[in-house]
Amino acid sequence: MTSQEWRQRAGGNWMPANLGEIRSIAQSMLERGARFEAFVVTQTKAGELRLIWHWDLKGKLFSVESTAAVGTPLPSIVDIYCGSDWAEREARDYYGVTFEGRVSTAPLMLREADPPGVMLRSEGGPR
Amino acid sequence: MSYRIPLGPYHVALDEPYKIEVDCEGETITDAHIKVGFNFRGIEWLAQRKNITKCIALMERVCGICSNVHSMTFCMALEQIGAIEVPKRAQYIRMVVAELERLHSHLLWAGVAAEIVGFQTAFMEVFRFRERVMDLLEAITGNRVNYSMNCIGGVNRDITDPESVAAGAREIRDTVNRVLIPLFTTDRTISARCGGVGVLSQADAVRWGVVGPVARASGVDTDLRRDCAYLAYEEIAFAVPVRTEGDVLARVVVRAQEIVESCNIIEQALAQMPSGSLNAGDIYAVPPGDAVVRVEAPRGEVFYYVESDGSDVPSRVKVRTPTFANIPSVMAMVKGNEFADMPLIQAALDPCYSCTDR
Repeated sequence: MTSQEWRQRAGGNWMPANLGEIRSIAQSMLERGARFEAFVVTQTKAGELRLIWHWDLKGKLFSVESTAAVGTPLPSIVDIYCGSDWAEREARDYYGVTFEGRVSTAPLMLREADPPGVMLRSEGGPR
Repeated sequence: MSYRIPLGPYHVALDEPYKIEVDCEGETITDAHIKVGFNFRGIEWLAQRKNITKCIALMERVCGICSNVHSMTFCMALEQIGAIEVPKRAQYIRMVVAELERLHSHLLWAGVAAEIVGFQTAFMEVFRFRERVMDLLEAITGNRVNYSMNCIGGVNRDITDPESVAAGAREIRDTVNRVLIPLFTTDRTISARCGGVGVLSQADAVRWGVVGPVARASGVDTDLRRDCAYLAYEEIAFAVPVRTEGDVLARVVVRAQEIVESCNIIEQALAQMPSGSLNAGDIYAVPPGDAVVRVEAPRGEVFYYVESDGSDVPSRVKVRTPTFANIPSVMAMVKGNEFADMPLIQAALDPCYSCTDR
């Protein structure tokens, strides 16, 4: 899949990857019978996005992480795992990310007219 | 003749607000389009603005049925980040409450399913069992919806009368074995209405990423309580019911058998529960780090990703609920089925749109 190796961390197996490797990793996961679990996006202190794709294989968690600047188009895996459709659409709602390789990324939680990027909004500090 | 039937977001036939548009060719469904987000509360956004103590209460409000599992999973993630040891007794108490919650959820669903099938007597009978479970939860926690049992490092309350809870579990198991299992496995009305309807193959179950009883009814032998044991599940003997038919009837039977297994787990847990403290004391922050915790909720795997920067406010809380994973597969299940089967196929997922939307 990639030149990187899986490492045990945070309750699962983790591997860093380039964005260009994500689709081949997803394809490999499907061939092994892994179930797509979740797509997690977080924002680092430097302002870039940390992207983590999670799979379950026989009860074990496999997580592939990458980073991208805000606004970078991400590879879609929806043609490999149809179950990732909602995860990608929610990422668009929360972080305003766009995906390459899918016809459109319609909002999931938001309405058509709502601006994406809910999680990037800074109003309302910690209480 | 082709036509599209819109249902929702607010409709008398829907338990919660969502929208489904069904494409039909005559009476046969050719496609379905689901729209959610009508209950969107921005809980993940809110979690980054509240301290972890307030977040426990916030997470408990992700779902009105499996409220306990959300606060418990959130606490487990923080405990993993902070390497906080949870006392053994607290782990057993968490397990008992989690299984009672599964009983409550599965019985609620069984009643709703019976009502949709048109079996009103079964609906009444099942809801009577469910009330017994609610009484047990109320006796342990003092609450019937948001139980407030979990804190970081353990639980807030003890189980002071384990024998009465065990007696309740025995009573429920006996009644389910005597009434519910035969009803769902041998009754001709149920099998005629549910058999061969809304089939999801094992391969599609993997491609759509379904979880919990929906996956197990499609031949995916998965259960985190066994495969990735947390709390004290590895000290308990229980079976994981799996069916291969992938239809509504298989989902019905899997859940009915899981009710019996949950009763067995509760009984064993109460018998084996060690003495000791309930929690690790007052904890208001954890060191920097992140954790992924997955728990087998009544509807399937709950997935939490929690990130801490060392302050008392989490820097990220990601919640993926079981229904979020299961609902899109309806689009695969309904194709080729009769339009009249649509409500049943949807109900067989035991969907919760509020927790999907968060």
